[in-house]
Amino acid sequence: MKHDPRLQRVLDRMKSGVLSRDGFLGPDPRPLEEVLDADRSAVAALGLTREEVGARLHEVFDKARAGLGTPVHLGDRLVAIHREAMGRIPCPWGGCGLFPKGEVELTDTATGETLLLSALGIHLAGAHGFYGGRGSRYRLEPAALERLLRLAGG
Amino acid sequence: MGGAWFVLISTGVVAATCLVSAVILLIAERYLANYGPCTIDINQGARKLEVQGGKPLLATLMQQQIFIPSACGGRGTCAYCKVTITDGAPPVAPTELTLLTPEELKHSVRISCQVKVRNDLAIRIPEHLFLVKQFTGVVERIRDLTHDIKELRIRLVEPAAIEFRPGQYVQLEAPAYGDNPEPVYRAYSISSPPSDQGHIELIIRRVPNGICTTWVFTRLKEGDEVRLNGPYGEFRLTDSDAEMVWIAGGSGMAPFWSMARHMREHGIQRPCTYFFGAVAQRDLFLTDEFRDLEKALPRFRFVPALSGAENDGWSGEKGLITQVVERHLKDGAGKEGYLCGSSGMIDASVKVLKAKGIPEDRIFYDKFT
Repeated sequence: MKHDPRLQRVLDRMKSGVLSRDGFLGPDPRPLEEVLDADRSAVAALGLTREEVGARLHEVFDKARAGLGTPVHLGDRLVAIHREAMGRIPCPWGGCGLFPKGEVELTDTATGETLLLSALGIHLAGAHGFYGGRGSRYRLEPAALERLLRLAGG
Repeated sequence: MGGAWFVLISTGVVAATCLVSAVILLIAERYLANYGPCTIDINQGARKLEVQGGKPLLATLMQQQIFIPSACGGRGTCAYCKVTITDGAPPVAPTELTLLTPEELKHSVRISCQVKVRNDLAIRIPEHLFLVKQFTGVVERIRDLTHDIKELRIRLVEPAAIEFRPGQYVQLEAPAYGDNPEPVYRAYSISSPPSDQGHIELIIRRVPNGICTTWVFTRLKEGDEVRLNGPYGEFRLTDSDAEMVWIAGGSGMAPFWSMARHMREHGIQRPCTYFFGAVAQRDLFLTDEFRDLEKALPRFRFVPALSGAENDGWSGEKGLITQVVERHLKDGAGKEGYLCGSSGMIDASVKVLKAKGIPEDRIFYDKFT
């Protein structure tokens, strides 16, 4: 696979301790290009685009955030809870502005499956097609993402 | 066969030349690039600095004890460290282009961590940044305010005193630790009153995956030395007599605890209602202290509210803090709003206050939250 020199700067910022304590890739050993390519294919195979994923996640995040820390029910079996945090974090791509910290925990009450959403994570998915490295805190596994978004309804 | 060898050798020669050139450039940049002494004129002669060229403007200013706020530590991502360069600016770097609006570019605004000092410069910065200093201090006390919020009390050592207005913030340095290769700075509102010049108190809530808060919660101990710089920020009480509506949640308590103690010390009797939102009783703190304050300031009212469903035994206000404000605040005309908390809480609160008649320019909060 060809190495894109423009992504090197992004990769440097994704490392642990640069913008966040644990970084964006977690223990995923794959090169960033491979992570992006694999998830692009996986999302496309689910019949989605990164823009659609970003827009849907935004809806879910905004509904949960409006709960100001109390559980918000989405659809029949999803519960979303926003945990606030002060401060903002920049995007590792740069030039995209600052994103409020804090996260939304989305849980399928029937299966216990959870996803952690952050404003930056949603931006990364929607704008850059980056869903986090495997094993990272904010990894949005495309198949799980699709399942939970379907449960959340539209 | 001969052609293949030729292509292979040519490719190798070109690659080797590029590699050698890159190495030479790096060495030249690191060791030979000497831009000599340069002058930085700040705010039309208000300060004149003689500096050694070659480093980014942000770092150069920091060496001269002039601190420009930065959330990313000079990595060119946060776009906080903007300054106006009125003379001597180098061409705009590609890394800056994505961080500046056309309007900012037109007005010579630049990202100071991405501008290298190579020649004399004239720059413009907000006057209040001249008052920002670097401090060292010792952690005198760490106490748990809730399960995920701590209060740090830091005794200032060098300089030994700070002047600030209640509502302002400092940047605390988390040193390199664990996988974090470099120190980072994070902004926290000062919760102590300005009269306590020898100390700084901070209220810090743990942020998942946060570099600085993880350090505070897992490594920082009483007796440790810390570094911080400040004060920063325009969030403060206005000089008017207008009735105030304060809204906060979580560690957003910090600036209000400073303001409230300042009001008590100075007998400031402005009418004020402080709405503090939490999910459960375990998230409430400083409640007794604010009840005491109500006695000292008869026109001050503290309204804690819980939004969680399971709050049996709680006889106080219930619901989202914005709903509580909506119920209590009849008419916002002539009043001022002061907010500190998560961005979600601030967005929702601004909406409610505006709907109640408080104009947007009378609603105050710091953008770093």
